[in-house]
Amino acid sequence: MADWLRRHRGLVPYLFLVPGGLWLILFFVVPLITTASVALQEGSLGTGYRLTFNFDVFPDAITRWNVQLVRSLEYGLIVTALTMLIGYPMAYTIAFRGGRYKNILLLLVIMPFFTSFIIRTISWKFILADQGFVLGTLKDIGVLDQSFRLLATPAAVISGITYNFLPFVVLPLYVALERIDPRVVEAAADLYASRFQAFIRVTLPLSISGVFAASLLSFIPAVGDYLNAELLGSRNETMIGNVIQRLYLVNNDYPQASALSLILMIGILVSVFVYRRVLRGQELTV
Amino acid sequence: MTPHRTRTTFAILGLCLALILAACGIGPEDSAGPSPADPGDSGATDTAAPSESAVGGGEPEDELNFANWPLYIDQDDDGNSPTIQQFEESTGVDVTYTEAIEDNSSFFGTVQPALAAGQDTGYDIIVMTDWMIGNMARLGYLEPLDLARDVPNFLDNADQVYLERSYDPDNKYSVPWQSGITGIAYNPALVDEEITSMAQLLDPELIEKYCGQIGMFVEMRDSMSFAMLYNGVTPADATIEDAEAAQQVLLDQAPCVRDYYGNEYAQALADGSLAITMAWSGDVFQLQFDNPDLQFVVPEEGAILWTDNMAIPKGAQHPNAALAMMDYVYDPEVAAQVAEYVNYIAAVPGAKEIILQHAADAESDEDREYLETVANSPLVFPTQEMLDNLYSYKVLDEDEERQWNEMFQEVVQG
Repeated sequence: MADWLRRHRGLVPYLFLVPGGLWLILFFVVPLITTASVALQEGSLGTGYRLTFNFDVFPDAITRWNVQLVRSLEYGLIVTALTMLIGYPMAYTIAFRGGRYKNILLLLVIMPFFTSFIIRTISWKFILADQGFVLGTLKDIGVLDQSFRLLATPAAVISGITYNFLPFVVLPLYVALERIDPRVVEAAADLYASRFQAFIRVTLPLSISGVFAASLLSFIPAVGDYLNAELLGSRNETMIGNVIQRLYLVNNDYPQASALSLILMIGILVSVFVYRRVLRGQELTV
Repeated sequence: MTPHRTRTTFAILGLCLALILAACGIGPEDSAGPSPADPGDSGATDTAAPSESAVGGGEPEDELNFANWPLYIDQDDDGNSPTIQQFEESTGVDVTYTEAIEDNSSFFGTVQPALAAGQDTGYDIIVMTDWMIGNMARLGYLEPLDLARDVPNFLDNADQVYLERSYDPDNKYSVPWQSGITGIAYNPALVDEEITSMAQLLDPELIEKYCGQIGMFVEMRDSMSFAMLYNGVTPADATIEDAEAAQQVLLDQAPCVRDYYGNEYAQALADGSLAITMAWSGDVFQLQFDNPDLQFVVPEEGAILWTDNMAIPKGAQHPNAALAMMDYVYDPEVAAQVAEYVNYIAAVPGAKEIILQHAADAESDEDREYLETVANSPLVFPTQEMLDNLYSYKVLDEDEERQWNEMFQEVVQG
């Protein structure tokens, strides 16, 4: 064995890939193929499904659910923008101004993970209930109209997703910003750059790989999210994840649900490639 | 990974995908070879079923796997069920009781592959709502029962209404666990009128002032049946046109509906987010302990009486133990014990006397008051007048189910 390895030294890196590769095949490739196959079948749970290569399922699903597909992409973009607006200053402050509190601040960022995100989202339902602690009080003192509500509105759903994915954005941004040598910013200042110019022309480009990773980590799960719309939204905030969930688990309409899952996946892949193209001018190390 | 290598990898993956797609079938019975008799072809199994002989007739096995809905059996402070424990002691059967059922369709989705393949699902008793019992019986997924031989307590003690059920004629496959009413609940703190009719929940003009505080159910059969009753249609006789008319009622109402709820409507009703909502009788009974003002009504147009039933899935490993359990819970003492805890409608009318007896024997005033409330509540032991105005769901065939589901999905998800 050792002899064999010595002679085929080039193969060693591939051997290291075997566990991860098997994992991917078992839990990614096989389910993906299954999903693709189910999408092309026709029938029902009771009578069984037959593979009929019914490709019409894709245009049909897009036509039927275009509102929810577009809404999901829309919410995903808004959430990504919001998490970036909130997360970048947070990560920046921790990386450059955190000093000896850096580790504590980072711990605070991941603290919410100590509780299941389902529980945290449900607690928002209690906090924001129409007659609950916050809104009830504001209504009683006359600040808000009696019929005002936050739950079951797009604002509630978008805030919920933003809240849930914020840590995923802060961490990669922090890693990217932390790596920047403060002396290059000083050098920019020495070359008569204003603080703003130094940020735009030095810090931001150097952290762009973090921005890329962070925006993917919020955009991809946000588009596919269904929990926030389920708990904090209503009919008018239905996202594509909710539609897929209902098609799978309530209607037992597996082909249409699988087709929509694939459409969602392809949609996300395409947007990621476009996004990457756009950022390509920058020094991209992703 | 370089772009070039990525491309090669994708090409190989794509090729594999194309090859495997053709070979790999999913689901119970797929394309491979001529398919056996099509069980969905309605009637095919109906005609086959009568020749089957009932399971049971023997001594209980050592084990029993019982799948039920959450909070649907009595529980002591340690989280154990006295009903289950007493059964274990008297029979020696080791019972695994799991709250595995959250929803009819998704539970069916999890056991269906095993049933279709003729394998054991791992459960000996499952509790499914009436229409799902109808579906599963039609597909040949349930074991036929011999009630006279194995479940005599049912024939002796069950209410007459449970002897003739449209979804399971002659009680061939199931016996009721609990029933409940889907009616209307409202919060008088937010509603200054008495609610007596469906129109006050469904008519867009009448609900205008409660816009955003109206709750409906995400369960298709409940909401569609409500709209049918409002239209003067008996849900069990509804045609596809009736379903379309019902969908229209729900779509017109939708702008004012806060959300389409599952079990979580109870929380929204309790915290004041909902003024008027569809509701299940047992939930409102329990909410009334915290807020006695909450009202539950059977509207004048009628409401829905649903029944969750115990059944033995095909291929169950411990059918005799399952039958022993079914017989056991029809003992009025046991039925009373469960009713005192779950507060839905017990299938055993004799339980009422026993609960009153328990109340008389109660040690604390608090317990006595509670037990008397249970025994005298029309939500647990409905009056004849209420029962006369209750309707069942329609047992849908596969085409209808698909059409109704699609119509209703448009209502709840746009």
